[in-house]
Amino acid sequence: MANEAYEALRNQAAEAWQQVEKPPRTLIRVPMATCTLAAGADETLAALRAAVDERGLDADVGITGETGLCWLEPVVEVRQPDGSVILYENVTADKVDKLLGDVIGGGVCNDLAFAVAAGPDVDAVQRLEDFDFWAMQERRLIARCGVIDPENIDHYIASGGYGGFVNAAEMDPEALIKMVEESTLRGRSGSNFPTGTKWNFLRGKEREPKYLICNADEGDPGAFVNRIMMECDPHAILEGMLIAAHATGATFGFIYLREEYPLAIERMERAVEQARERGLLGENVLGSGVTLELTVWKGAGSYVCGEESGLLASLDDARGMPRIRPPFPADSGVFGQPTNVNNVESYADVTLMLQKGIEFYQSVGTAANSGTKIFSFSGHIQRVGVVELPFGFALRDLYHAIDPAPWGERRTLKAVQSGAALAGILPAHIALKLPLEPEAFREHGVILGGGGIVFIDDTACIVDLNVMFSWFLEDESCGRCTSCHGGTQRMSEIFRRIARGEGRQDDYGKMDILAQTLQYSNCVHGSASPTIMSRSAEFFREELDEHINNRRCPAQVCRDLIRYEITGASDALAEAAAICPVEAFVQEEEAWSIDQARCIKCNACKDVAPDDVQIVDIAAGVVVPAAATP
Amino acid sequence: MLETEATLEIQQLVAEFRPGNADLLRALHKVQHRYGYVPKEAMGVIARQLRLGEAHVYGTATFYSELRLTPPPEKRVDWCSGPACRLKGSTHVRKVLESVLGIGMEENTENDKLGLHLAQCNGTCDFAPQIWVDGKVVGPLTAADTVKLARELKDEAK
Repeated sequence: MANEAYEALRNQAAEAWQQVEKPPRTLIRVPMATCTLAAGADETLAALRAAVDERGLDADVGITGETGLCWLEPVVEVRQPDGSVILYENVTADKVDKLLGDVIGGGVCNDLAFAVAAGPDVDAVQRLEDFDFWAMQERRLIARCGVIDPENIDHYIASGGYGGFVNAAEMDPEALIKMVEESTLRGRSGSNFPTGTKWNFLRGKEREPKYLICNADEGDPGAFVNRIMMECDPHAILEGMLIAAHATGATFGFIYLREEYPLAIERMERAVEQARERGLLGENVLGSGVTLELTVWKGAGSYVCGEESGLLASLDDARGMPRIRPPFPADSGVFGQPTNVNNVESYADVTLMLQKGIEFYQSVGTAANSGTKIFSFSGHIQRVGVVELPFGFALRDLYHAIDPAPWGERRTLKAVQSGAALAGILPAHIALKLPLEPEAFREHGVILGGGGIVFIDDTACIVDLNVMFSWFLEDESCGRCTSCHGGTQRMSEIFRRIARGEGRQDDYGKMDILAQTLQYSNCVHGSASPTIMSRSAEFFREELDEHINNRRCPAQVCRDLIRYEITGASDALAEAAAICPVEAFVQEEEAWSIDQARCIKCNACKDVAPDDVQIVDIAAGVVVPAAATP
Repeated sequence: MLETEATLEIQQLVAEFRPGNADLLRALHKVQHRYGYVPKEAMGVIARQLRLGEAHVYGTATFYSELRLTPPPEKRVDWCSGPACRLKGSTHVRKVLESVLGIGMEENTENDKLGLHLAQCNGTCDFAPQIWVDGKVVGPLTAADTVKLARELKDEAK
């Protein structure tokens, strides 16, 4: 029964996808996602539409999601009736005319071409599958990202979408849960709790209604893994929730989405609406007996709401304050009812598993972690973006692919931070030896986390990073546990003091005590908050000591330990004086100097006169004995 | 509670919301969407609608950093506090913004034409360090770029 209804949807969808797969005339598609909008994709789209309309060009214009090639955005795709698909890089609005001039009628714009995604080879243009960044990936969860139009449910269905649910509905719920358990799928948010076990907890509860929550509150600074899924393939998440509904007997669901992701909210809301229209949400979906009502629910800016009990409190008309467990969500979740919370990517994993089968799902990865993981990366690298890799992939290989060729003056990679504020930090020489797998990171006292990886070179200061993260953790502490709100505050104070050159050797002992005390917090926000502090003290002792013992910041970042001085005399200094926001430039008889009392150390003068302004250590050469500071 | 024109309007705005229905944040969002902030008058109205204490509503509204209790500026400049921006010099950007505009984070200029907001990372890290002017990403910014931009913004806001 379910199959017939689904086949009807698929036939209808196939027609819509045919328009993309075999377009009757040139089809130009622009990726519309947060990353591409930042690069001006909206202007590109408007320029393309205007040009095609005004000039009556023989072409259609559409949208897609993003491919993860953030540093090349806007990446515009051009499809021709003969099956050729070519991607063009950095197509900003000003390049639209050039692109159109070449591609209308079937040609190639060589100047902008980035790669051939399908169809015949083109001289001097690489094939996408040969591009190292692409070749290393195992694109499964994000296979549709940048391929389908995320606002068109037919594109999703035509590619097998909702077929995973149809397969699941034919299975006995117990067998389904057993399969998910045996798949080794564990929560993708960082806590790594086995998804199947969670589902089993909920399945065993008799109280109704039961709730499903999709934790889409991706608050980790530097992580944008879930955002890409939601913006570019939203139905894959809804389908995973439908499968979970069949497995657990839940009938209501909330997608808890952070307010900072407006486009993801829009896309998920639209997807829910479309799924409802097609009978893929609501009562008795496709005649399967599964009922699920979904609501997209908007957060309001709170990191701890990504913690499941904080999230539940937030849904329950309150401040998003995590609480002590038990009771666990399966016993008392939203509105006190049995509830299951999974991450965006975990639901997408289930969809993949049911669409392609467990053998396919387990065909990559490691024994302990089969399948793939999506990673986003940023920081001191040349290629900011998103990839999907099998578990166990070497971090070193990822790093080489995203920071490939020497560009002018290269600096050395100093540290790698996975999993954001709560996860810790590792020196590069250790991190680059690790496979991307939770256990390998845990061995070194850090967490692999939700997939955001920040690469840090030696222009950064570890003390400064701790000042930032401890402030973030303090600011985002909900305030319930004294150990957490007081502990993160102390952490923050200690690092600010070290950054001012007022650190003391006994601060290390204080850090240890703090790290122990913070363990007595109700939730992971408190208990994991000292990770970065402890790992910094462990692995970056020399750099911390340099601040504490010598009042020197080796990276010249901590502004209380440096000053700007004029060391040249070129004409650029007049410009530097003009750019100075605080009028700290003083000229006496042609010679410029900086009024140190006014200077805010913003670096603007050095931006315009790099050869004439230098950063100098205030305490250069002055060794302050540790005991000398009170 | 005394009913005024303002409270009546808010009452209509939140009339669809019910107690025990995960509606508190939705109600606050709706009010903020309408006024640009959550006015004091709204606390009591929402509290009555959802059968909650007014202090509870106030406590919730102040818990979340994207809900504001004061009128928004005409033009908002969001400064990204994320790690990729930090690594690439966002502290310089912040120093410049605050000193040129003469306001701190979460403050507006006296005429409310311009305001600064401390934002959380949204993952457009290819443009680090960046700010968002009325939601539009501007970056990567050097400190010198920021001085020029901030001076322009300040002139516009006069």
